[in-house]
Amino acid sequence: MKVHKLFQRMRFGIFALFGLIVLSTSLLCIRTVDTELSAEYAANSQSIAKTIADASVDILLNRNLATLQSLIDQFLEVQGIRYIYITDETGEFLAHTFVPGIPEAILESDPFQAEPVERSLPGMGDFLEVSSPILAGVAGTVHLGMDLDLVALKIQRAIGQQVYLISILLVVGILASIWLVNLVARPLAALLAYAVETARHPPEERALVVANEKLLERDDEVGQLARLILYMSRTRPPSGPEALPDPGAARSAA
Amino acid sequence: MHSSCAAALLAPWARWAGAALAAGAGVSSGAARAAAPGRQAPGAAGGEIVLGTSAAFTGPSRGLGNELYRGAMAYFREVNDSGGVNGRRIALKLYDDGYQPDPCVQNTLKLMLEDQVFLLFGYVGTPTVTRVLPMLKKFQEERIYMFFPFTGAQPQREPPYGDFAFNLRASYRQETAGLVENFLATGRRRIAVFYQADAYGRSGWAGVRATLENHGETIAGEATYQRGSRFTGTMRAQVEILQRAAPDAVICVGAYAACAAFARDAIDLGLRVPIANLSFVGSENLVNLLSEGRDDPETYTRWLVNSQVVPSYEDESVPAVREYRELLARHDPQIPERFLDDPYNPLPQSFVSLEGFVNAKLMCEIFRRFDEEPTRAGLEEAVFSIRDFDLGIGEQVSFGPDRRQGLQRVYYTVVEDGRFVPLTDWNALPA
Repeated sequence: MKVHKLFQRMRFGIFALFGLIVLSTSLLCIRTVDTELSAEYAANSQSIAKTIADASVDILLNRNLATLQSLIDQFLEVQGIRYIYITDETGEFLAHTFVPGIPEAILESDPFQAEPVERSLPGMGDFLEVSSPILAGVAGTVHLGMDLDLVALKIQRAIGQQVYLISILLVVGILASIWLVNLVARPLAALLAYAVETARHPPEERALVVANEKLLERDDEVGQLARLILYMSRTRPPSGPEALPDPGAARSAA
Repeated sequence: MHSSCAAALLAPWARWAGAALAAGAGVSSGAARAAAPGRQAPGAAGGEIVLGTSAAFTGPSRGLGNELYRGAMAYFREVNDSGGVNGRRIALKLYDDGYQPDPCVQNTLKLMLEDQVFLLFGYVGTPTVTRVLPMLKKFQEERIYMFFPFTGAQPQREPPYGDFAFNLRASYRQETAGLVENFLATGRRRIAVFYQADAYGRSGWAGVRATLENHGETIAGEATYQRGSRFTGTMRAQVEILQRAAPDAVICVGAYAACAAFARDAIDLGLRVPIANLSFVGSENLVNLLSEGRDDPETYTRWLVNSQVVPSYEDESVPAVREYRELLARHDPQIPERFLDDPYNPLPQSFVSLEGFVNAKLMCEIFRRFDEEPTRAGLEEAVFSIRDFDLGIGEQVSFGPDRRQGLQRVYYTVVEDGRFVPLTDWNALPA
């Protein structure tokens, strides 16, 4: 015998609650990771550009462009940086990492651009370009392009990992709640069966109904109810048919 | 959770920054030179002087490292067979860097710290050498000098690293200046540059730009390629970029495989103008790639103009050339087996191996200037004692505190019958 109706509602409630938790946590996680990692990437790009700008001063003043190129080539090894170029105070390109050539969009852009700008370069992808002036801009400007596709991929991966973990917790939570509900449902079902069985018998025979020993030994509410039913079955009911419970009603309840 | 993600994302940057800061700290320490005179020099103890080399012995540019080594070894073996320099044999400790900066840095650390070589000799390439120079400054108390790298770039000729290197060959600045001047003199004013996207390419680009600027001109167009590109790859995108600039001549600053691919694609796509290459290119390998298996071997090579920093190895009127040809044939140095992943066919003669040969010849002359056991502390003085020294190539070699480059002359060559011959008439170049 199963206790369906009561626990179906409970299970639905648990699913709904967990679903809500997972959905809201995931949305918050996506927003937080996306916003903060994007900001962190932008901030780091900016600091790398500044590092290059600071390191370039002497090199630029000595007009040692091979060393300047060697410097930016090393920074190109940092993950996510896809291009670097340095313009002088007149806007001329002094060093860059583009192959096979400087894209038109960059040739036509403002070489003194100071604010971060998003660029879509044909054949290369989407980039966040940050800039840093060299010697307050009087010696030139460093421009650095972060690969937005790679950043997006990294963010997606980070979010995916978090959502994956939350989903695992959801499944584990649901399984655990089902197990816990069953833990309550099983003795309740046994109690119900015992009560129905008792009700099926005429009052004078109810004392003969064999009670489940394990049920009677329980020290929780189910055990107390079982013992109460046993007590009532062994107690002589008051005379008069109106005082007796209706066995038909008990059966339909089962 | 996301902070750990961020840490993971930024870990490479953090590692890189840490290394850069560590290197920077070393470079800026600026300890005064304090080598103890008379201290037994590492790498020159006993009967042997050990020189350390990191060069391209594998990869698309291995022809450069291999031939430079062969030329040097032809002379060193002759010296060793004759009893060495003042009784000391010359030995080379070799590492392969494949013409890549990071392996070169690692190799140099090993040479300096583990192998304790006497000095660094015969390095190949600008991107590699420019990354090693700060290490020489970092270990300046050890007085480890770099001798005769196979690069004409400026960083080892100028402050802050010029004091740690001695150059023999002319610079890229001199090579590009000569090429530009001659092109301009013959009415070719629109000069484009095809260059390797690294310090070497930038060095040549800067030389072209500076000379053009002196004449009120600018670079007509430019295109780059990735270091390590092979002849089998395409350079069509680069050719198309330069075609839009309608140049009168193109100056290539690259290695032979990529420059050959560019010349091939340029001619095929109709960019038919003189294509100049610098000495580093590896002229013979360039011509071999462009000629092999062709009915008309000059289809591409007739457009080539190559600058050289040593005279033609065909010119037997030059004493050093005669000696080079004789010793190279006698000793025929082979590349060590460990570097031969693929078979390598040595060139009978080449500009690169001739350069290696004269490098070795001058190196031995410097060692001869020591009365007793060579010391690192005495190296600079020994080098500066080289004044108007005749290497046998028709140009006197001199060094001094303000002169750390021995030779100044640049030679210009074109290809005829598959061989490089001196360019005598710039007006006769194909149009």
